[in-house]
Amino acid sequence: MNLFDIRNLSIELVGKNENTLAVDRVSLSMKEGEVRGLVGESGSGKSLLAQAIIGVLDDKWKVSADRFHWRGKELLHLPLEERKAIITKDVAMIFQEPMSCLDPTTTIGEQLEEAIDNSLLTGNFWQRRKQRKEAAIKLLHKVGIKQHTKCNKSYPHQLTEAMCQRVMIAMALARQPILLIADEPTASMESTNQGQIFRLLASLNQLKNMSILLISHDLESITHWTNTITVMYSGQFVEAGTTSQIFTQPYHPYTKALLDSSLKANSQVPAKSRLMALPGSIPILQHLPIGCRLGPRCPRAQQACVSAPKVKNYHGHQVSCHFNLKDSYR
Amino acid sequence: MSALLEVSELSKTYTVRNHWFQRKAIVALKPVSFTLEAKKTLAIVGEMGSGKSTLAKLLVGAEKPTDGKIKLNGQGLAAGNFKQRCQHVRMIFQDSSTTLNPSLTIGQLLDEPLKLNTELNELERSQLISATLLKVGLLAEHMNFYPHMFSGGQKQRIALARAIILSPQIVILDEALASLDPSLRSQMINLLLDLQQQMGLAFVLISHDLGIVRHFSDNVLVLCKGQIVESGDTNTVLKNPKHKYTRKLIMNQQLQVAGKL
Repeated sequence: MNLFDIRNLSIELVGKNENTLAVDRVSLSMKEGEVRGLVGESGSGKSLLAQAIIGVLDDKWKVSADRFHWRGKELLHLPLEERKAIITKDVAMIFQEPMSCLDPTTTIGEQLEEAIDNSLLTGNFWQRRKQRKEAAIKLLHKVGIKQHTKCNKSYPHQLTEAMCQRVMIAMALARQPILLIADEPTASMESTNQGQIFRLLASLNQLKNMSILLISHDLESITHWTNTITVMYSGQFVEAGTTSQIFTQPYHPYTKALLDSSLKANSQVPAKSRLMALPGSIPILQHLPIGCRLGPRCPRAQQACVSAPKVKNYHGHQVSCHFNLKDSYR
Repeated sequence: MSALLEVSELSKTYTVRNHWFQRKAIVALKPVSFTLEAKKTLAIVGEMGSGKSTLAKLLVGAEKPTDGKIKLNGQGLAAGNFKQRCQHVRMIFQDSSTTLNPSLTIGQLLDEPLKLNTELNELERSQLISATLLKVGLLAEHMNFYPHMFSGGQKQRIALARAIILSPQIVILDEALASLDPSLRSQMINLLLDLQQQMGLAFVLISHDLGIVRHFSDNVLVLCKGQIVESGDTNTVLKNPKHKYTRKLIMNQQLQVAGKL
């Protein structure tokens, strides 16, 4: 069964005169126990999508969707309180720059204990304090921090960035979520630390069968850790499929350009040669092209591209392009 | 041919107050020596705290070295002589949006180094600014724009324009490509390579992304805890790493892609 299933989700920024369509009819679905990568460059609306899932967007944004199912329940029609109850129980999120997300004025221990809900503790009220402490220590052990007393006593600035990210993951795990949304968990981290965090997430996925939505701006850095990948560009759906489908046979010109421009994936290009690059830059929200938003930068663009393409499905490999590259692989 | 940049036994120690009157010395960079020729790129790789940013600061003159000499074209670079150094050694930082003054237009921003370092009059300066903007792939009209009107990739281009406007010989890129989006990053790499050919620039590239290092650089220095553990031709070092630390760095990066293919 699908864990969640979103069809044609649109997110609009409500303006004085007109609304700006920041995310334009994006579909995303996840099975239980799956690791899905959500890839897009800056301004592609991937963080907005994640925020819409956990429902933290304020009145400035208008969210609408044809279907917004969480384990078979339509979330958008539920009253806010019920929706909150479901989301806080089952979904957790970790953010990029863990240092700035933790409270700098209190110790790690206090923040961790705060994240542990009363409903998780079983004892009488005089036992709770101790239980809470033990639960916090257990959480730290789960994410691979062995020196729990030292860690609990320190403030966020005293820990390294990778340590802070581990603490964030520990907080997210407090309610044993079914889905963990990781919004660029390793941005601005060294490669050794990146590996550590990804390995931790992968082990959580395998041991606890926790689904993970891994958001990143870099296609190549997450390919090793994901089962399926969804690519977005400038608020539009581009391509979705299994990791190997996306990686070996990208159908969309944009995905292909991303892979061609990546240096790790094709290390056989001669040094100092010119790299494949799309011309132009990512459009800003105020000046979005009509139709397919990649249009002005796309090497395969034709007249039909001024209308938005429909999503085509080839054996689970979805692509949204009028002139996709499927035929070129024969 | 004599080298463009010659660094010999350069080192940096910071002293911090440990306890009342005791002082503790922290060695950020142990003595390093290397040379760099024109039109070549030297990459410096290493983990956090390995002293690569310290080395960049020393080269550009933001910090005074504890010991050692930097020679440019056989001439010694004195620590306090900014007039001489500004013209020849320039730097681009990681986050371009915070290094551009938000209250100045691009024209004013680029005008500053010219006012301080050259004796050009106003007309010549504005001509040079528009020529430099064209060189980095922007338009001359962008002179009247403010930094917030540009996207991340364009801001990085402005930072590059500010670096090359004095026609320097060496440009230091301190993680300048790390925060860019992939499609803009390849554009930027292409632009940098073109400029290297046109202007005969030498680059010092500081990066932790070995993919970029492999593509971009001729020579590589591997720093670990302030010490050079390995150096030499990029291809030979990356294909045939001798030191344990280098192998670890390469392993960490290859794992992510190679595992899937």
